[in-house]
Amino acid sequence: MTARHFLAVVALVQGVLLAALLILIVLNRWFRLRRRARVHPRRLAVEGVMQRWALGQADVRVVLAQLARLPVSLAVEALVSWSARVPGDRWRRLATALEGEWWARMVRTNSRSARWWKRLEAARFLSVAATPADTARVLKLLRDPHPAVHIAAVATLERVESAALVTAALERLPQLAPTVGAYYAGMLRHSRAVVVQLLLTRLSRTDDPVLARLTEFAARLQEPALRESLTALAGHSDAEVRTQVARALGAFPHPASIAALTRLVEDARWPVRAQAARSLGMLADPASLPLLRAALRDETWWVRMRTGLALTRFGPSGRNALLDAEVGADPNARDMARLVLGLSSQALAEFAA
Amino acid sequence: MSEIIRDANFAILFYFLALNSFYALLLVLSIPEIWEQTRLAEDEDFQRLMQSDALPPITILVPAYNEQKTIEASVTAILALHYRNYEVVVVNDGSKDETLEALRHAFDLYEIPRTYPETIPTKPLLALYRSRTRTKLVVIDKENGGKADSLNAAINASRFPLVIAVDADTLIEPDALLRLTRPFLLGRRIAAVGGTVRVANGCVVKHGQVTDARVPRRLLAGIQVVEYLRAFLFGRLGWNRLGGNLIISGAFGLFRKDHLLAVGGYDATSIVEDLDLVVRLHRYLRSRKVRYEIPFIPDPVAWTEVPESLRVLARQRERWQRGLVAAMWQYRGMLFNPRYGRVGLIAVPFYAFGEMLAPLVEVFGYGITVAGLALGVVNVPFALLFILVAWGYGMLLSLWAVVLEEVSFRRYRRVGDLVRLLLFATLETVGYRQCGVWWRLRAFFATGGRKHVWGEMTRRGFETATK
Repeated sequence: MTARHFLAVVALVQGVLLAALLILIVLNRWFRLRRRARVHPRRLAVEGVMQRWALGQADVRVVLAQLARLPVSLAVEALVSWSARVPGDRWRRLATALEGEWWARMVRTNSRSARWWKRLEAARFLSVAATPADTARVLKLLRDPHPAVHIAAVATLERVESAALVTAALERLPQLAPTVGAYYAGMLRHSRAVVVQLLLTRLSRTDDPVLARLTEFAARLQEPALRESLTALAGHSDAEVRTQVARALGAFPHPASIAALTRLVEDARWPVRAQAARSLGMLADPASLPLLRAALRDETWWVRMRTGLALTRFGPSGRNALLDAEVGADPNARDMARLVLGLSSQALAEFAA
Repeated sequence: MSEIIRDANFAILFYFLALNSFYALLLVLSIPEIWEQTRLAEDEDFQRLMQSDALPPITILVPAYNEQKTIEASVTAILALHYRNYEVVVVNDGSKDETLEALRHAFDLYEIPRTYPETIPTKPLLALYRSRTRTKLVVIDKENGGKADSLNAAINASRFPLVIAVDADTLIEPDALLRLTRPFLLGRRIAAVGGTVRVANGCVVKHGQVTDARVPRRLLAGIQVVEYLRAFLFGRLGWNRLGGNLIISGAFGLFRKDHLLAVGGYDATSIVEDLDLVVRLHRYLRSRKVRYEIPFIPDPVAWTEVPESLRVLARQRERWQRGLVAAMWQYRGMLFNPRYGRVGLIAVPFYAFGEMLAPLVEVFGYGITVAGLALGVVNVPFALLFILVAWGYGMLLSLWAVVLEEVSFRRYRRVGDLVRLLLFATLETVGYRQCGVWWRLRAFFATGGRKHVWGEMTRRGFETATK
């Protein structure tokens, strides 16, 4: 074959491909329009019947019949969107009734599928329609390697109370990226009692490699039952654990919290000192004022900043401390006091948030 | 002589065969990517995440230079984003027009003291403002130092762990920020993520938002719609599977602030700061063996006004090419360097030999073909067939981008717009492409010694974009 023949063949193939792409574009538009014309009235029918059922004007069997007429993905979508609008008991009755539906059985089976998008569909379905019988399936989905799947599955905790599921989610929590961890934490808050019991056990294991993450989660819960465990960790060797403890203790106005924070505000690591200063400001105990006056001379800008802001929460005595620092001998404390005293109330409120 | 011309012809043929095969590979790789991304984009669970407190807080960095016409609309649109926890830092980089006055008037600014350390050195700050009407807004007024310097000033002022650089002439869709955080929500080790930039010319814009996506009727803007679709929908998607993108558009990219600080922020001396930053990030993270990804996701959309005059477009493309040449030279140590993994072995060589050298080879090819024809080494039918195949391939890639758009996001719903897209995809290869080659070629002679300040562009303003 000569170069010319080769080019002619390539040109011919290109021509065919160009034509095929044009046909593909036209067919795609046509199929979409046809599908929309077929499915849209059914979606409207489901919306209507769901609305009547939510108001107690339609039987659950009518809802099931209309859902069965939709493509499975759209039925799951309808369930997810309606789950937030229907009260718990009523929704549980629908979830139980769905167990007998052929398409719901098929979606449940997909929790073992090799394809992640099928498992995602199953996880989304179970997040709103799981019953206690689905615990094993949800457990498997919670351990799924695809992040979208286990993120969808963890939402099941909003509706199903199960110690096994809570344990699995809590086990996974420390391995997750901070954002996803925060989402998990939000879901775990729905099962507060079980979570607190599990955390009390985990926080007592001081050699736990994921202790910092668990402490962070415990801090978010602001649960008084965890105060003692958190205070006990104030002397932990890991600076990240101490930082999280310093942050958490600001939510517990208790002499033991103030005693621990008094130690932490003189910690060797500046993030710990900054958090401790912030928490001392939240507790606003007059006895800690001399400590904060000293912290205003800290070598690190952020510690001085946090201390300055903390002092604004002490009322007139804190303000006086800042005014003293503003004319004092230490240049760092002077600059920071001037900066904080110049902040508007709006800026102070934003920093407090 | 004729032997040399024949050999050169074969070398050029081989070059384009290799380059086009690589484009074909990107095209194939973009298919599973767009499949996965559209599946995830449709996932309603992200609406639930939006209601949760889990969203990472974001600082939006908006550098502005002589943007008095568009600044109010842009900032208003940014402040209307559907996102729970964010702040906007606008930097007026010593504008010569009334940009600061426009901001002061629109958002009732008042001066505040600086409350953060200058982590990255920048040109001196003149003043820092907050808005009485929009608590999320911070405005920095500083001496002129260029876009990169402005971005660095904004990074210094930012409070949050994720930062996104947005051009003041860019309109972000209300849910774009939420969508852009998806990789972070999915728990991947993301260093930066890029979204799609689309062409706003011809679209209906109301209150700083694109309310009706249209393909412009003007040839130059219309062709750029196809060009942007091709660059984003299959180019960058394909790169997701080949070790990550080397370019996150400066107009719309989300970065982890700690990584930005670690590499010293944007390079104020760079010609194209977005390319430079991403290459530096790759180099930094790879050399420290940090596991990371720099993906592109197609569903978050920002709209930008593209040049409608040949003069401005030529200047823009020349600047991009100069930036590419400078970056490839500066980071030549990464070329074929296994220490940098797939970035060093695939991405950098592709950008160096495929993107950077392509205009040189193409012009050389035209010259050789003309010489060959004159000497009778190349016959006319062969030359015409070669040009037909080259143009046909370009057309095929553009049409493929239109197909990806049609099967996935379908922003252009009207049949008229689709027809125009197809028409522009066809016309692009004749005339426009050759102009592009010429502009890029000029960049080789302008490289070096020229410091970048701002890529100036004549703007019509968004509300008038449809007129």
